[in-house]
Amino acid sequence: MLFAQLLVNGVLLGGLYGLMALGMALVWGVLNIVNLAHGAFIMLGAYCVYFLFTIAGVDPFAALPLAMLVMFGVGYLLQRFVLNLIIRSAPLNTLLITFGLNVTLTYLAQLAFSADFRIINPSYAGANVTLLGVTIPLVRLGAFITALILATALWVVLERTRLGRAIRATAQNLTAARLYGVDPAHLYAVTFGLGAALAGAAGGLYGVVSQVTPYIGATLTAKSFVISIMGGLDNPLNIVAGGLVIGIAEALAAIYLGPTFVDAISFGLLVLILVARPARSWRLK
Amino acid sequence: MMRRWALLALGVTLLAALPLVGDELIIQYGIDLLLLATLAQSWNILGGFAGYPSFGNSAFYGLGTYGTAIAMAQFHLPFSVGLALGVVLAVACAILIGVPILRLRGQYFAIATLGLAATLAALISNVDIAGRNIGLILPLTHNETMFYEDALALLVACTLTVWWISRSRFGMGLIAIREDEDAAQVMGVNTTFYKVLALALSAFFTAIAGGIHAYWITFIDPASAFDPTLNVRMVIMAVFGGPGTVFGPLVGSFLLTAVYEVLAASLSTAAALLFGLVIVLAVIFMPRGLWNLALGLRRVGWRYFMQNIQQHKL
Repeated sequence: MLFAQLLVNGVLLGGLYGLMALGMALVWGVLNIVNLAHGAFIMLGAYCVYFLFTIAGVDPFAALPLAMLVMFGVGYLLQRFVLNLIIRSAPLNTLLITFGLNVTLTYLAQLAFSADFRIINPSYAGANVTLLGVTIPLVRLGAFITALILATALWVVLERTRLGRAIRATAQNLTAARLYGVDPAHLYAVTFGLGAALAGAAGGLYGVVSQVTPYIGATLTAKSFVISIMGGLDNPLNIVAGGLVIGIAEALAAIYLGPTFVDAISFGLLVLILVARPARSWRLK
Repeated sequence: MMRRWALLALGVTLLAALPLVGDELIIQYGIDLLLLATLAQSWNILGGFAGYPSFGNSAFYGLGTYGTAIAMAQFHLPFSVGLALGVVLAVACAILIGVPILRLRGQYFAIATLGLAATLAALISNVDIAGRNIGLILPLTHNETMFYEDALALLVACTLTVWWISRSRFGMGLIAIREDEDAAQVMGVNTTFYKVLALALSAFFTAIAGGIHAYWITFIDPASAFDPTLNVRMVIMAVFGGPGTVFGPLVGSFLLTAVYEVLAASLSTAAALLFGLVIVLAVIFMPRGLWNLALGLRRVGWRYFMQNIQQHKL
């Protein structure tokens, strides 16, 4: 029974991990930027939802679209006016500039919101259902379902809409996409904005199931990174699957190996995967 | 050429003489600075010359730290034996990890090294002889001058090694790997051997820096020994100064550390914020580092900045 409970915990957490990684994988696949500020976007999204909930009394799940809109704006502006300036620079430089953005955003948040722990605590936070002896907390279930909906929505946008076709075309061949009338400066900004919006949604959900501080970004960036590699960058649903694997592995490791191994486990898996199949190229198909 | 050497020798002598005049606080800043510069310089060997950005160097730092601490705290051996143990651990780890991981190229290599420090920290915190997650306390010595001179000597040795690399067949091989690895292989460069050797050299100096720091601070635990932000700092200092050059990482680490200390003294929280902005602006306006900036300003003046943006924007 313990095992079943752990499995359920892992799956619920893993869905959220998958959503966290979606935005990073999208940006990485299309723009070839490994965004080290991704975790900071997640953190900002969490604060958006927190303040909407505490000040305006908006239900956290209802606040998600608003937080996504705000984060889309932040992402769009950053890409359009900062990152587009260095997009053809060496890969190490894009890594470095997003690290700089991460530091800037983290400490801006610390100045504006203080370093206090914040919890988004709606009235139904403690509610849960018991099914066959396994306890399922409702907010985690809600977060899991929302994550699945957003991942599916991203898949539909990429596969079925004009915007999605433009994004995929740009990822495959920038020059050819340009010839077909895609404006790359705008499209890159939209893609980065979408990544930031997904991060914002993940942040809001993270705030509901866990605590928010300005410093949560770094570990979440690292996790998103691992999951992006595991899932590959070509299909959003694979990313969610990668998130599930990490979520389950962490839940099992915390009990059977000891809590100190939780962070080591995802990286151990990552190294194994990279060494086992290194020849693959991670670009959006 | 002779004049440049004389100037450098003079600079090192002046730095070495600093403990005679400076007060204790200056010396402590100095030790920190010299050790950080060593870390940036040793990262430069693989990251700058071969273009393989390692995020696992803080693991070698941690192993150097723990080797020294275990020898001194648990077996009461002298400092030098501790350093040797740390170096052996770190170099062994570099070779063991390097052979499989260095098959990965560029970015993927960087990613694979990301988790190395965290994994080692988790392992160490379950080992009895390493004090589990409580840490170890080293014997106390109040000899700041000795630590300062050790750190300076280490930085000089590391920089001389990098200087030798920059002119040797080995260094040419690393640069060839950075520019085009397949071509390098075709031209007869044993790429795997070169990369592993570069990583091992990098681990060697990084581990000694860790050992000196451990003995100086006298207390270590897994979180501080395998601190991932330390690794980020080495990368930033080296890249800011100019990766793949002999003096770039030194200039970068001296300048960034100075900027950070000045900001921290006058602004506290906002310091880190401005530090982040400095990095963002530096990448936009001088993506090839300070060393290249100095050359570029002499050549084309202020147009250098606009040229960089022209070249790298979408």
